Order: sequence, then C-alpha cells, then structure tokens
Amino acid sequence: MEIKETLKSAIDSLKINKLRSLLTMLGIIIGIAAVIIISSVGKGVVTYVSDELSSFGTNFFQINPGNNMMSAITGGGEPLTTGDVSAIKDANISNIQNVVEFSMTSKAVSANDESIRVSVYGMTPEGETLLKPNMIYGEFLTNDDINSRVAVIGSEVADKLFGENTDPVGESIKIDEMRFSVIGVSKSGGNLFGSFFNTSITLPLETLQHQITGVDELVEIDVEVKNTDYIKETMDEVELVLKDYRKIADDEENDFIMESFTESLNIFETITNVLTLFITGISAISLVVGGIGVMNIMLVSVTERTKEIGLLKSIGAKRKDILSQFLVESSIITTVGGFIGIILGIGITYLVSVLVGIPFIVNMVWVVIATIISISVGIIFGLYPAQKAAKLHAIDALRFE
Amino acid sequence: MIKKNDTLLISLRGIFKKYPMGKNDFYEALHGIDLDINEGEFVAITGPSGSGKSTLMHILGALDNPTEGSQFFKGKNISSYSEDELADIRNKEIGFVFQFFNLLPKMTVFKNVERPMLYGGIPPSERNQRVMKALSSVGIADKADNLSNHISGGQIQRVAIARALIMNPSVILADEPTGNLDSKASLEIINILSDLNKQGHTIIIITHEEEIANFAKRKIKIIDGKIVSDVKNKP
Repeated sequence: MEIKETLKSAIDSLKINKLRSLLTMLGIIIGIAAVIIISSVGKGVVTYVSDELSSFGTNFFQINPGNNMMSAITGGGEPLTTGDVSAIKDANISNIQNVVEFSMTSKAVSANDESIRVSVYGMTPEGETLLKPNMIYGEFLTNDDINSRVAVIGSEVADKLFGENTDPVGESIKIDEMRFSVIGVSKSGGNLFGSFFNTSITLPLETLQHQITGVDELVEIDVEVKNTDYIKETMDEVELVLKDYRKIADDEENDFIMESFTESLNIFETITNVLTLFITGISAISLVVGGIGVMNIMLVSVTERTKEIGLLKSIGAKRKDILSQFLVESSIITTVGGFIGIILGIGITYLVSVLVGIPFIVNMVWVVIATIISISVGIIFGLYPAQKAAKLHAIDALRFE
Repeated sequence: MIKKNDTLLISLRGIFKKYPMGKNDFYEALHGIDLDINEGEFVAITGPSGSGKSTLMHILGALDNPTEGSQFFKGKNISSYSEDELADIRNKEIGFVFQFFNLLPKMTVFKNVERPMLYGGIPPSERNQRVMKALSSVGIADKADNLSNHISGGQIQRVAIARALIMNPSVILADEPTGNLDSKASLEIINILSDLNKQGHTIIIITHEEEIANFAKRKIKIIDGKIVSDVKNKP
C-alpha cells in the first residue's frame, strides 16, 4: 500500500476515536512541552546571569584582605596596601593587563542643602576599563585628576542631591567641608552586580587616601588579565607573589582571598546546566510514561479491531500493510503530540521569560531532540502492538468474537 | 466477460483440516475432501452447522491452508503458500462477501470498495472510475459517500459484492450472504449473484438455506467433514 494511502487510512482510523486519540496524545504533549520549557528556561536563566556578569567584566579576578568571605567584608587581618599592588606590578606576570586598586570609606555628602551618607570609593582611571560603568553624564576619572578634588557620583546619589534628570556636571559637592567638583554621573552596566556605581561616589584613589582617610589601606585589588583562559594560572602566580611579599610561609593560611567572576560564572553555569539537564531528564521520563500510554491504547485498539484486521487480510492486506497501518497510527499520535508539545512549550517559555524578565531563548537542541524522541516513541511503543496485529492469521481474526 | 466453461479453477485433493483441542487432542473439521470447481460455475455448499462447510470455504478462499492434502488454484499448488502469498491470491483472484462485519466501520462506502485496490497497487487515476462502476453494477452508486454504518443490511451486502468485484477476481465467495437479511433483501442479493454468474463470474455460496442453494447450478452437501452429495440443479 502506498505511503500516502497508509497515512490517509491511519488518520481515518484515528478520527473514529477522536477523544481517545487526543487523550493518548496528551501524554506526549505534556512530556514534550515540559522538556522544552525546562531546558529553554534553564538556558534563559544561565544566559541572563552570564550577561549580567559579563556586563560587569569577567576578565579579572579580585583580591580582598582577610582569610574568608566574612572578614573580607568586615575587614580585619593585615590590610592590603599599595605595596601589594607594586609587588604584583613588579612581578611582570605576562598575562596581567592591568592592576586596579580601590580604597573605600563611608562619608556624609552634601550639596544644595541635601545631605546623605554614601560609600566613597577611591579608584584609578583603569577602574573604568575594568568595571565598565555607564557614564550618563560627563566623564570618568582620568590621569589628570590624580590628587585633585573631583568626583564621579552615582546616578541615585545625583538624583537625591540634584533632583532627577538634571546634569550635575560642573556642580560641586561637600565631603568633610571639602569642595569636590562633579565631573561625571555613573550607572552600573547590569542589574544584578556592581550596583555600587549607582549608589556611591568615586574619587581619585590618591585624593581619598591622602586628603580624606590618611591611610593607604585598600579594600580590594582587581587584576585584569589578557587571556581569561589562563586566569587560574595567573591567580596562582599572583598568590605566590603576595605570599612572598607578605612573608607567609607555605604551610600558613593566607591573610587575603582571591576570587574570579569567571570562576564563579563557570561554577554557576555548570551547576545550572547540570540541574537543567537533570530536571529535563526527569521530565523526559514523562515521555516514557506517555509512550507506555500509546502502547496501551494501541494494544486495546488491536484487540478491538481484530475482526477489521481479518477483513483487511481477506481482501488482500499483507503483513507489512497491517504493520504499517498500526505503526503509522501510533507515530501520528506521537508526532502530532510532539509538534503540539513543542509549540506549547515555546509559548509557555515565552510567557515565563516575559513574566520573570529573562531572555527568551528556545533551546533548539532540545527541540530537535524532542522531535526525534516523539517520533521514535511512536515507533518504539507502537511496534509491539503493530506486530501483534500483523501476525494475526486472517482466519483467526475473522473468527474472533 | 467471456464464459470459459470446463476450465479448472479450484481443485482440492484429499483435504484434511484438524484443529488442536487441548494438549494431545484435535478436532477434525474436514475429512478427506476431493472437489473440483470450474470457471463459470455457480456452486452452493450446504450443510448443517458444524458440518465443516465454513472450514471448506476458508480453504476454497485461500484464507487457510489444509493440514493434509493439496489445494490447487488455477493449476498451482497453494497448500504451502505463506500468509502473504495467500493474501496476494485473495486480493487478485477472490472476492469475499461475508455474513457479518463486511465493511470497515465509520468509513464511506467509497473507501470500503476502494480498499482492495490499495493493496493491489491499482493507480489512483483508475480507482475512482472503477469504484463507481462497481457500485453502479449493484445499483447503489448514489450511496458512495454514505458511511458504512448509515446504510441498510441489504445495502451493506451490495457494497460487499461491489468490493468483491473491484479487482476483477476469478471467483466470488459468499459466506451466508443472506443470513442476516429479510426475504426481500435476500432475494435481491441472490439475484445479483445469479446475474453476475450469467455474466460469466464464478460464484461459490455457502448457505444452510435450501431455497438459497436452489438458485445455484450445482449443490454440494457436506456433513461431518465429508461431501455426501454433489448434484447439478435442473435449470
């Protein structure tokens, strides 16, 4: 029998039991949709977080004082100083592009009779290339600003001191009764990380250290690398340099910690990908359950239609005609189900991306896999019932009561 | 169609058919049948229920192989043919009309009559015309698009006859074709079969009704798996 006629006759048969065909299909629809949604939303989340981190810069690692995350935040331990920065620079490590140091304090800042308490960072001009702040007004610090009383203020700080949507460049602010001229307004690139560019004030490093705090303590040193592939090796080299400079023995614990966003990003991506794969795998189990449903219904259908099979054999249907009739029926159920599942999955993924605010990404790999799976489920789970039908003897099928 | 009398169509020699019953027992439905049927004949096979006439019909219709003996169709020994080889003979050489479950449920009359041509590889261009011709020959061309479950019993049998004719077979085998019908519809069906015989078609009809058997030209009676009488009806 021609393929076209087999298809037509299979569709006719499925139409006879519309509700049953649809319910059987539902198992496949849900399975495929689940696989598409979970794999796509998972990929969307990974992309969202990666983009956020990239907008902040992933080509550097940071060094903080202390020996754990807690002391890095609260301070304590031997502070990092410009001496550590010089030691790293003097080591001439080939993969290092730039070394950027920060100091930080907290100060009351006033302008136009408004006064707020903010974090004040001391930064070198290299901070711009590394942390990529968005300058909504004016410019970031330059080498000409060393030791001078200029300030880059965060967008939220600007809003509070000068009112929203006003360009404060050229205005002045007061810190500790000293006047600073505003040269720019910064905003952080992403949403998740680096929001300090919105809420803080950035001064030239030397101005903060020499004129305000009077100490050369640093809160953080960021080391920018040329090639992120070797970031781990460069971190190991820098660790040796600092251990040597800070006179820490090999068996002693470090009094500084090093961390890279790239590393965190890789760990995050690995965890999310494994998790996505795992949940996708679990949802794929529902496809197997759907497949068993298809097999069950096809077995019932073969038994129900035994007399029909006998009739078809008596008018000349060969084994392969009966086999393909039932195999095509089960494949149509799963292929159409799979197709609807893909559409549904993509639709729901779109809704989730809009509602949650992550990028709308369809995991095409899984769409292809889902298509292949849905067709194969129909063939694999339809094969046994179809063979059972094809093996019936014309005479036994005709006699069946 | 040209009448070709005395050309041997079906020939059975020493046919036994045994069905296993339990482990070591069996039931013998046919007990040494010898039978020749020529082209153009109109044969009625009669007998009480359990006589083996249905089993004989299955062997004549290439639906089943005998346990013992030789089954010839147009001179070829088909006793050891495979299911698929028999299917091919049924498709091209034999048209069936059954008592029950003749048509595919919830499908149009057209599709039911067309079906054997799909298995026989008849090109689409020919199919439409052939279906309509077959339906016209049994007088129900107007029912082509009706669903098989929306027509009367007599019409169902006509559709079955149209389908039996569609591949232009050597023989039409009707198993109790009127068993389900009232006397008026029965008469219509048997008249159609008679007319087809007059046009040259070989007809074999299995029935337990004497009046139906009397329409045939040759009457074979079978009891307990053996032929007990084989007579020509007077015209």
